[in-house]
Amino acid sequence: MVYYIFTLVFFCFDYFILAMGLNIQYGEAGILNFAYIGFVAIGAYFTGVFSLPSSAGTGQHYILGLGLPFPVNLLLGGLAAMFFALIVALITLRRLRTDYLAIVLISLSLVLYDFCNNFVSLFNGADGLYNVPEPFAKAFGLTVNSFIPFFACVTAVISLLMWFVMSRVMRAPVGRTFRAIRDDEVVAAALGKNVFLMRLKAMLIGSFYAGVGGGLLIQFGGSFNPTAWLPGETFVVFAVLIVGGAGNNIGMFVGALLVETLLIHLPAFLPEIPGHPGLIEYFDNAVVGIVLMLMLWFRPQGVVPERLRRAASFGVRSGLGMLPQAPIEPAALDRP
Amino acid sequence: MLDSTTGRPERAAALRCEGITKAFQGVHAVNGASFDVPEGQITALIGPNGAGKTTVVNILSGAMRCDSGRAFIGTTEITNRPSHTIARLGLLRTFQLSRELGGLTVLENMLVAPADQAGESFVNLLLRPGLIERQEREHAERALALLDTYGLYDHRDTRARELSGGQKKLLEIARAVMASPTILLLDEPMAGVNPALIELIGGYIVDLKEHGVTVLMIEHNLNVVEKICDYVIVLAEGRTLATGRLSELRENTDVVKAYLGEVIDAGASH
Ligand SMILES: Nc1ncnc2c1ncn2[C@@H]1O[C@H](COP(=O)(O)OP(=O)(O)OP(=O)(O)O)[C@@H](O)[C@H]1O
Ligand SMILES: [Mg+2]
Repeated sequence: MVYYIFTLVFFCFDYFILAMGLNIQYGEAGILNFAYIGFVAIGAYFTGVFSLPSSAGTGQHYILGLGLPFPVNLLLGGLAAMFFALIVALITLRRLRTDYLAIVLISLSLVLYDFCNNFVSLFNGADGLYNVPEPFAKAFGLTVNSFIPFFACVTAVISLLMWFVMSRVMRAPVGRTFRAIRDDEVVAAALGKNVFLMRLKAMLIGSFYAGVGGGLLIQFGGSFNPTAWLPGETFVVFAVLIVGGAGNNIGMFVGALLVETLLIHLPAFLPEIPGHPGLIEYFDNAVVGIVLMLMLWFRPQGVVPERLRRAASFGVRSGLGMLPQAPIEPAALDRP
Repeated sequence: MLDSTTGRPERAAALRCEGITKAFQGVHAVNGASFDVPEGQITALIGPNGAGKTTVVNILSGAMRCDSGRAFIGTTEITNRPSHTIARLGLLRTFQLSRELGGLTVLENMLVAPADQAGESFVNLLLRPGLIERQEREHAERALALLDTYGLYDHRDTRARELSGGQKKLLEIARAVMASPTILLLDEPMAGVNPALIELIGGYIVDLKEHGVTVLMIEHNLNVVEKICDYVIVLAEGRTLATGRLSELRENTDVVKAYLGEVIDAGASH
């Protein structure tokens, strides 16, 4: 029972991180990143190969195998996803806009998928990586069962840290400029904003979140293979984002709780319907799809909509009456 | 202001076009437009519908590339340079159809405008939060003062997409002013606003000139041109037809035929 609950807790916080990363890209900067799950996978695989020992004698084929300890490998996994994003962004982001970019990205995630699936010496192909060391398991003497609650808590702490950072970013001028570009990139450029550079920033920070979220996935389960990141998985993260409310971090948590935890993972723990094994799991995606359609129809702003940043929050001391400048009189027009 | 014999501006040109051309699938929208915009004055860009006025502004502001010709800010060539680079050289523009940043509040629309904000860099976000906070407060103070001037203070916390058409026009100008322009291109700032607001906007434009801003405005209302513009450029079929003071252009038969026509008689006898 405790095992079930903490598995749900883990997925909730992990998808909170994933949704925050997609939110800065799509909700804030308007980049329709349909390759998002690809960046999650890069983060997961690299976190794995940074932590696994050298591949000789493991029966697996993979690159690196550096045997690095836990937070270090996770950080490097996030950076690997970020580096991959840099390459992708330099190729695609400068020339392509919205829908074309989305199409290119979705193709890219398919190519990446086939590549990882078939190029065995990279990340062990279709079998994927397994036996990835459990963080702190030896140091704290954790058993198979106590590891799950422990790591769910670690993930919760990491996600809260990342939430703190992300909310600072979104409240800062950089977040405002992202949203300006999302609303009208021509206007943003006319105001002197380097649209490409700003989009690149959103792409990088979002991909770091994707990579860390992926790294936590492989550390939690100890394994990661292509079935874990079918290109369609991107849309589960989009569902989290849309249900929660694009543009709002609290919304990302609510979305993760509702979609990932309640709709996707909880049904797996329901008792089987007699005579129809696995039937419930088959309905997962259909239910997510229906919920998504209902949300877009009835509440497109999500459960927790984007919040307005009000004037009062800028710490301006003077009130209206004390403003330095008086309105200009239209009398100027009456000159000879 | 103008040299009385040549009718050309005697001040230095803040902005210059040399033989700009632009075709859309064979349609020559701009076909060799050449003109100087004198520094520190209000210049009107007039001409019939479809003359290519908006296209010229799009090219000058970097929103579109031209096929040939050159453009300069002072002595700096800006031909086909990206929008954001041109904006950073001090040239700001507004759009014929207002383009508000709909999801942002009116105040946030203003706060996007200043260039080189410390808070647009992640490094500063980590290392210099104090600087960012101070800058934000200063920008917010200036933005609120400008919103007060432009009559939008009470709407500071409204999402920009919820403003009326006229309010969007005002926000558009205020936002460009917030970016501290040295050259301001206004594309029909008074189209679709009521007469009282026309007076008000005219007053703001004159005030900008008094603060040293060079203004180039596209305008169809010749009463406004007569009242506030120092210098006029007439564009017809993508070419510069004439330049000079409005009073001089009234005697130019080409101009009268191409554009002014009846309007000038009505305007002269108002
Ligand atoms: N993006 C575009 N694609 C195709 N044709 C265009 C485009 N923009 C402008 N044109 C064409 O170029 C010509 C000039 O248009 P432009 O908008 O510059 O005129 P204008 O002088 O601003 O007119 P108005 O006074 O009506 O605003 C028109 O014939 C128009 O149809
Ligand atoms: Mg026009």
